[in-house]
Amino acid sequence: MIMIDHEKCIRCVGCSSVCPKNAIEYVGERMVVYPDRCIDCGLCVKVCPANAIELFPKTRDISQLPPEARNRYNV
Amino acid sequence: MEKNDYDVVIVGAGPAGSTLARVCAQGGLDVAVFDKRKSIGNPVRCGEGLGSREVIEQGLEVPKWAISTDVKGAKVVAPDGKEIIWESGETSGWVLERKLFDSWLAQLAVLKGAEVHVNNRVVDVMLDNGRIRGVKVKNGADSEISDVTARMVISAEGMESFTARRMGFPTVHRLYDVDTCYQYEMQPYSHQNLIELYFGNKVAPRGYVWIFPKGDKRANVGIGIGAHLETRVKNSNIKGADPKPYLDEFIRNNRELKDASTLMDFGGVISVCEPIGKFTMDNAMVIGTAAKQVDPIHGGGIALAMESGALAGDAILKAREKNDFSEGFLFNAYEKPWRETAGNKMAKRLLLRKVIERLDDDDLNYIFGNMAQEDLAEIVGKNRFAEVAARMVAGRPQLLKVLGALMGK
Repeated sequence: MIMIDHEKCIRCVGCSSVCPKNAIEYVGERMVVYPDRCIDCGLCVKVCPANAIELFPKTRDISQLPPEARNRYNV
Repeated sequence: MEKNDYDVVIVGAGPAGSTLARVCAQGGLDVAVFDKRKSIGNPVRCGEGLGSREVIEQGLEVPKWAISTDVKGAKVVAPDGKEIIWESGETSGWVLERKLFDSWLAQLAVLKGAEVHVNNRVVDVMLDNGRIRGVKVKNGADSEISDVTARMVISAEGMESFTARRMGFPTVHRLYDVDTCYQYEMQPYSHQNLIELYFGNKVAPRGYVWIFPKGDKRANVGIGIGAHLETRVKNSNIKGADPKPYLDEFIRNNRELKDASTLMDFGGVISVCEPIGKFTMDNAMVIGTAAKQVDPIHGGGIALAMESGALAGDAILKAREKNDFSEGFLFNAYEKPWRETAGNKMAKRLLLRKVIERLDDDDLNYIFGNMAQEDLAEIVGKNRFAEVAARMVAGRPQLLKVLGALMGK
């Protein structure tokens, strides 16, 4: 799955425009990720002009994130 | 929301959606536009440049308050620093205050009788035996979701194209199809009302740096580079395209900009590819950037969006007259004429973009070194690339290989 740093994110929706699985949507005032749809392709990381996306391969939900990342994302 | 049935529901109140709403409402249709943003045109994610021709063709006059500055020509700079300046002698376009421009277009639609609802997000499409019959709308102020039915649902949502995807239109981009961009609004920058474009594979690989002049010595200084390029190791050790370091380097090397202030800082992604393969289905259409109707060379989408909005509006009025909202009718009334006119132009410009992206800096320096002001006038003013390209190739046979390789593919 991916994590989006909402401080860095500029809400340009570039990530959703290249996501082949509709796993990222602009909801309300920010981008929302649907981890169950994510296929770890990393296209969103490549395209993001703000470097706001991180990929955590083979991670299906927040509880599986490394502790360091959970700290950093405050989840 | 009290009313829940319309002739036409439009998703997105940008230039495409508002133009479509205006045309439909003027023709007597009951129109609602839903936009998920809290205010129209905000956030601005745009270089804000617009040629004047399309607006004039629609019989519109952009109010002074929506224009930041008049554009009176262009300056193009080669990798080796050679400049070519073309001055039109009159206003050939504008750099807009995009937020105000979008708001103005929405107001025109409202004045013709359309309803515009901001802070209303379309969360799903409603189907009836496979046919689109409306949308589900969530008002930002509460959690309630309302069903809104319509004869026609149009996606005019720009890059994200959420509703279009839900309806089954093929709107996903490949990386090669987009440029990833970064832009600052900067001040002060003493410009001469010229659009400035800087080329070079070190300046902006498969793209360019632009300086669009704005009022009060401001300027939009931006860059777009091919998103498929791997210019830097990004997060998670993934190599990808990163436009910002190129833009920062450009600014450090610019005598005036290196000391200027940054008033706005943002990025974005734009289509520079062919339009999507299908714009119409029963009771539904896609218009503007959502349909990838974006100039593949400069990434501008406003003019194409307005053109498409107007054409789609006429198509819906015709459909109403015949009471036929089928894919076949909409295809003939909107998609087919679009592809024969704007689409044709876009295809030529896409080919040109593919030629340009195969040029190395030596080729570019040669072209610019041999290009006279009149050539630039022919390209920018009259949109005649082929003639100029032919003269260039005549002097540098290596360029022919580039063309040949393309045609062979």
